[in-house]
Amino acid sequence: MTPRSALNRTLLALAGLVFLGGGLLILFAGLDLYRRHDLAPPAGWPLTHPADVLLGSADRARWSSQGWWWWPAVIAALALTALLALWWLLAQLHRRRPGSLPVGDTPSQEGVDLRDRALSEAIGNEAGALPGVGDASVLITGRPGRHRTLIKLTLTPEGTPGATLGALCEGPLSTARRATGIDMPAEVRLQVSRHGPHRVK
Amino acid sequence: MTSDPRPPGRGSASSTHRAEVPLTKEPDPAERDVSTSDLTAGEREGGHRTRRKWSARRIAAALVAAVILVAAVATLVDVIAVRAGRPAAAWRRHLADELATRPVDDVWMLTGAAVAAAVGVWLIVLALTPGQRRWLSLRSPGGCPRVRAFVDRDGAAVLLRDAAMWVPGVGAAHVMVGRHRIKARAEVRFRDPRQVKDDLTSVLAEERDRLALARPPRIAVRTRRPTR
Repeated sequence: MTPRSALNRTLLALAGLVFLGGGLLILFAGLDLYRRHDLAPPAGWPLTHPADVLLGSADRARWSSQGWWWWPAVIAALALTALLALWWLLAQLHRRRPGSLPVGDTPSQEGVDLRDRALSEAIGNEAGALPGVGDASVLITGRPGRHRTLIKLTLTPEGTPGATLGALCEGPLSTARRATGIDMPAEVRLQVSRHGPHRVK
Repeated sequence: MTSDPRPPGRGSASSTHRAEVPLTKEPDPAERDVSTSDLTAGEREGGHRTRRKWSARRIAAALVAAVILVAAVATLVDVIAVRAGRPAAAWRRHLADELATRPVDDVWMLTGAAVAAAVGVWLIVLALTPGQRRWLSLRSPGGCPRVRAFVDRDGAAVLLRDAAMWVPGVGAAHVMVGRHRIKARAEVRFRDPRQVKDDLTSVLAEERDRLALARPPRIAVRTRRPTR
């Protein structure tokens, strides 16, 4: 799992727990489930009775009568929440591109660089020429030094995934490995071009 | 998707490629042996099974982030406006009034709570399940240990359907590739349906092995004669 996936899933689970907890709290009080099933909510439980309201006058009075620090603290918390939400949102939108890749073992400052686009085009051209492959598109993502290759292939009806994968591994991918000196992780997604049924003649 | 404007009579490549697919009328008893030996050969070559693809859940995350962002910014703006001496916005007064007057057994409160709980369950399900049900993992070739490969389920269905259409006697075929089972329905135009079904099963098994799936689904074939 990528770090972004782990982060997204953690935050989604957290948000889900908040929604579920809030909803269940209101449902339990509103349907009077505590009394019907002889459950005793712990002391200080916010909602226990069907006639309770979410925003009682006691709550409002308590919030308004806090010290001078209350509203600055509320504003700071809201601003922090908004900033974190904005960062989380932006993290979904952009895709990392390594820019250039070092060739061989030389460090990037003095060595030879290869543009990621050049490498992906080279892999794509070679992969697109493989038998049974109709169309190939290659994208190199990830931060510099930890890049990954995403290869999308559309097979023609004659192509088979097993054979195509073997050819891809021995052809374009080994060329790229030899050219860059890095065995970079690659993800291959195979699709098949749609066509009508054809019959043996 | 790409256009694939190749003419239907696609020459030698296809015929050599499909050479092993039985075009004979008699089911060849060696067929099953061939397919299983192919499979073991593939396993022996090394390679590994790609693990299931896990979605990054970008869309759900972006939606939740956007909702939180909008709510936080709206509240922030209004709180600051009130601190600056202006009256609170209408939506905030309205919301506070409703929350202060409606008891929790009000039908709107119960509906809202049920919706919130359902959304919560959905988000938790999204967080815990892999998603990407469209992609089936493949066995990667031995020479490339860092390659993860997947095939589109609909694409696999197209390849299997093509293979099924090569069986003599099959007039129309429909293949659905599930995550654990491949369902094929075929219309038998001529020949003994039982024999056609046996042929279909072996041809589909062979084509499935050629797909190099990490977990080959079982194959269920149903044949029927067109009623006329």
